[in-house]
Amino acid sequence: MPSDGLNSRAAVWAILRKECRSEWRTRYGLNASLLFALTSLTGVSFAVGRLSDRTDILSALLWIVLLFSALASLSHTFVREVEGRTLTLLRLVASPTAIGLGKLLFNLLFLLVIEVVTVPLFLTLMAAPGPRWPAFLGVLGAGSVALAAAATVVGAIISQTRGRGALFAGAAFPVLLPVLAAAVSGTRAQWSGGAVGPELRLLCAYAVALLAASLLLYDHLWED
Amino acid sequence: MVLRGSLLLWIAGWMVAAFLWAPLVPVLGETTRVLYFHIPVAWVTVFALAWSMVHSLLYLRRRNMEHDHHAMAAAEIGLLFCVAATVSGSLWAKAMWGSYWNWDPRETSIFFLLLVYAAYLALRGAIDQDERRARLSAVYSATAFVAVPFLMFVVPRIYFTLHPDPLINPRGKIDMDPRIRVVFFALLAGFTALYFWILSVRVRVARLERRSQEA
Repeated sequence: MPSDGLNSRAAVWAILRKECRSEWRTRYGLNASLLFALTSLTGVSFAVGRLSDRTDILSALLWIVLLFSALASLSHTFVREVEGRTLTLLRLVASPTAIGLGKLLFNLLFLLVIEVVTVPLFLTLMAAPGPRWPAFLGVLGAGSVALAAAATVVGAIISQTRGRGALFAGAAFPVLLPVLAAAVSGTRAQWSGGAVGPELRLLCAYAVALLAASLLLYDHLWED
Repeated sequence: MVLRGSLLLWIAGWMVAAFLWAPLVPVLGETTRVLYFHIPVAWVTVFALAWSMVHSLLYLRRRNMEHDHHAMAAAEIGLLFCVAATVSGSLWAKAMWGSYWNWDPRETSIFFLLLVYAAYLALRGAIDQDERRARLSAVYSATAFVAVPFLMFVVPRIYFTLHPDPLINPRGKIDMDPRIRVVFFALLAGFTALYFWILSVRVRVARLERRSQEA
């Protein structure tokens, strides 16, 4: 039904706005994640120093910093609902798919904010040579979408387990491994002047496959 | 009992044949013999993962705990075989490539399977309620299922690998000595039968545990 589709689009939008608002009220998650990103960035930069001539290591380090920041923060939106006991209410007003999509968009936005702070700082602190911007941003964007898609569905699962956040990194990592492999090699290729086409295609295909799978799976996530 | 005994004799007998009867492949030398152990074990690893994931999907569809038992049992056995495949492959890599581990795409994909198995079982351990454990681990399994084709097939195709593929590479198949082929397929069948035997035992245990809980 078209009206149903419209309703769910409105629901996704409403969830996204609700997430942003409740995040902005405390900014607890954002502050913690930004601090974590800065900490891992400082750790990397302090430990290895300037690496302007080793772009192969730079691309690996950049994605490790981004991966760590994502692992530290992206399960937060679901864990918060479970800990605040608000998930049941949320489920009353929106379908599981709408909740999942809304939270996915929020996670994507969250990741974007982290990247806006982290990536320029990384490039500056490590004295990285100037990237080829279209290729660099393409890999970064496609990698972020795949990262957010994987992290959101795993975060939804993990928030219902006993340890909550504790298992998130371990459970998300296998699903994130293709993203890490393709994103690192894509970033390396854009610095060394190679083609980023294969990696970009791989990242996009993976993001689409994950999105499609999670749309089918959100219905099964909450039933009791 | 008879079946179990003959399976044991079958595997042991062909293992002896692998050392005494089958010839060596020129480049691989003495390390040829790992083929009879490593490939069947790696095959069971992948097969068990597929078994586990298919049963996870079937569970989501039909909500029958029997599927969850199969998914769990296959994952547990798969982890065991995955460790065996990783260790035997790593020993072979030391002999042929000079280092135990160097992130060859094949090593990456077997390591990925190890991580998936471990994460799946850790996730199961963190949920108390049976129905919820079955449902959530099935959802996780289905998510990881998306990553499998990418890591098993796409990544090794894009990046350069040194791994010999006598099964996938058709030229290797023609060059394969008939004696090697007989021993190899006999052990492949033997290890697959071993998998099904352990699976049936594990599923029976899970079934009994459930019944004793319900009673």
